Amino acid sequence: MDIAKMTIKAIHTGLENKDFKAEEVTRAYLARIKAFDQGIGAFLSLDEAGAIAMSRGIDEKIQGGEAPGLLTGVPLAVKDNLCTRGLKTTCASRMLEDFVPPYDATVVGRLRERGAVILGKANMDEFAMGSSNENSAFYPVKNPWDMTRVSGGSSGGPAAAVAAGFAPYALGSDTGGSIRMPASFCGLVGVKPTYGAVSRYGLIAFGSSLDQVGPFARTVEDAAIALEGIEGFDPKDATSVEGRVRGGYTASMLSGVKGIRIGVPREFFAQGVDPEVKKTVLRAVKRLEALGAEVEEFSLPITESGLSAYYMISSAEASSNLGRYDGVRFGYRTRDYDGFEEMVVKSRTEAFGQEVKRRIMLGTYVLSSGYYDAYYKKAMLFRQKVRRLFKEAFEVYDAVVSPTVPVLPFKLGEKTQDPLAMYLADLFTVNVNIAGIPAISLPAGFSEGGLPVGIQFMGDHFEETKLFRIAYALEQDLGLNLVPELKEVK
Amino acid sequence: MKVTKEEVAYIARLAHLSFTEEEALKMAGEFSDILAHFDNLSQEDLEGIDLYPFEEEGMRLREDQVIPFEHFEELYRNTRSMAGTAVKIPRVVD
Repeated sequence: MDIAKMTIKAIHTGLENKDFKAEEVTRAYLARIKAFDQGIGAFLSLDEAGAIAMSRGIDEKIQGGEAPGLLTGVPLAVKDNLCTRGLKTTCASRMLEDFVPPYDATVVGRLRERGAVILGKANMDEFAMGSSNENSAFYPVKNPWDMTRVSGGSSGGPAAAVAAGFAPYALGSDTGGSIRMPASFCGLVGVKPTYGAVSRYGLIAFGSSLDQVGPFARTVEDAAIALEGIEGFDPKDATSVEGRVRGGYTASMLSGVKGIRIGVPREFFAQGVDPEVKKTVLRAVKRLEALGAEVEEFSLPITESGLSAYYMISSAEASSNLGRYDGVRFGYRTRDYDGFEEMVVKSRTEAFGQEVKRRIMLGTYVLSSGYYDAYYKKAMLFRQKVRRLFKEAFEVYDAVVSPTVPVLPFKLGEKTQDPLAMYLADLFTVNVNIAGIPAISLPAGFSEGGLPVGIQFMGDHFEETKLFRIAYALEQDLGLNLVPELKEVK
Repeated sequence: MKVTKEEVAYIARLAHLSFTEEEALKMAGEFSDILAHFDNLSQEDLEGIDLYPFEEEGMRLREDQVIPFEHFEELYRNTRSMAGTAVKIPRVVD
């Protein structure tokens, strides 16, 4: 068993055939994490005892003749903004450093019911705000493909965990690209489902109208299996949609791309895109054409304004959502204070990191009297325009393709002093969240220096089936080898 | 769009945050850059767009239900100080 290369499917088959035990799988991952994660920083905490106990219980059931489900006994990493009952959930923030939720997020509960083994909680940008995972209050996540470079953010921990072979899959959250971007940088498949397809109950809120939980995996098939394990209506989330999720992706994705219409928006390949990224993505598009897809260039002029609208809307929602952290009932409370007001201001000022404070300030600014019409309202109007333009595009095309990120994984520290440069890395991902549509990122190839390049396919609401179909066909055609060589840290 | 450090101080009060003079000055500069970039929205034709044109299909509110929560120890383990089943906070009114 080469644990670093294992997939959900391979583990499932092995358990089913009794080739190995679930406990052996869990122990092999834990051993690999201990050998290598010090140099990467993918995990914030491990639940060794819980993971081993869970996998032992699964082994007993399998020995007793119970047939394991697809996710039974399969370990995973969970982003630290998803509530796990009895396990610390910090959001990579000093504010929630000691927070232990009394309940599971719906997605976590669903996976537990299916016998999934949670190895631990994965690192992230504080409160999911960032594009490089350098905003974690504890330590940054390094890219397993090149440890001098960022993993991408905000779900850098889950991405690096899967890329490094610490888990076959992971759960992340995507508010403006936080799954797809690290998936692209770490050479993985990452899915941002349609808004409302996956429950947000127990996901610590950042931008509530944009947030969505989704999986990371090494293969399209694994990503499909993981999404099927978490999606579907949840009465505990009022934005959860009933009766629209299609499911069955692992079967429907096999039907190929012959006759599938793919739109190539020229604005997503314009100036500012790294030439190697552009070349790699366009080469993959050509492969799809060779496989029978109908490819056509068109205009979708939303990138620049979409980025502005995204940062206004997400920051406005963050300023409201993060208002609850006041040091009163839970979370960090400052030591010395004079009166209630000072306690609140000092607790927030001391416990929130620089980027979180910047977003709260930006959000408060665009919502404040005198600026609301000039900024927030315009952003909300543009949001409707983006939805309309995507709807029009999907009347013609089954999917729209773009690079996931305009640039290659950058160096640690390269953009930390320039917030605007960091925000520009999200240029191609944010509009998907603004419109609430699904998107998938998968590896399209590598740069000359050996860095992964991701390709993104966007689809109409609840059309994940088409995205899996295209992604699977491309993945099979490209046949990339996707496990980086790691150096042991003593 | 030029943002001043006085505006930063005003927004900080609204957001229950505090900044040193140096931090406020740095943030004013960053905000000026970010908001200048955001100005591209002013070039967009947004005439005739309805702000709230639809309700999401399939989303609905459920009826309130009373379900006793029994894990008080777990629930209250995150609080700083308790008095019986109440959360103790500093004095708000003198």
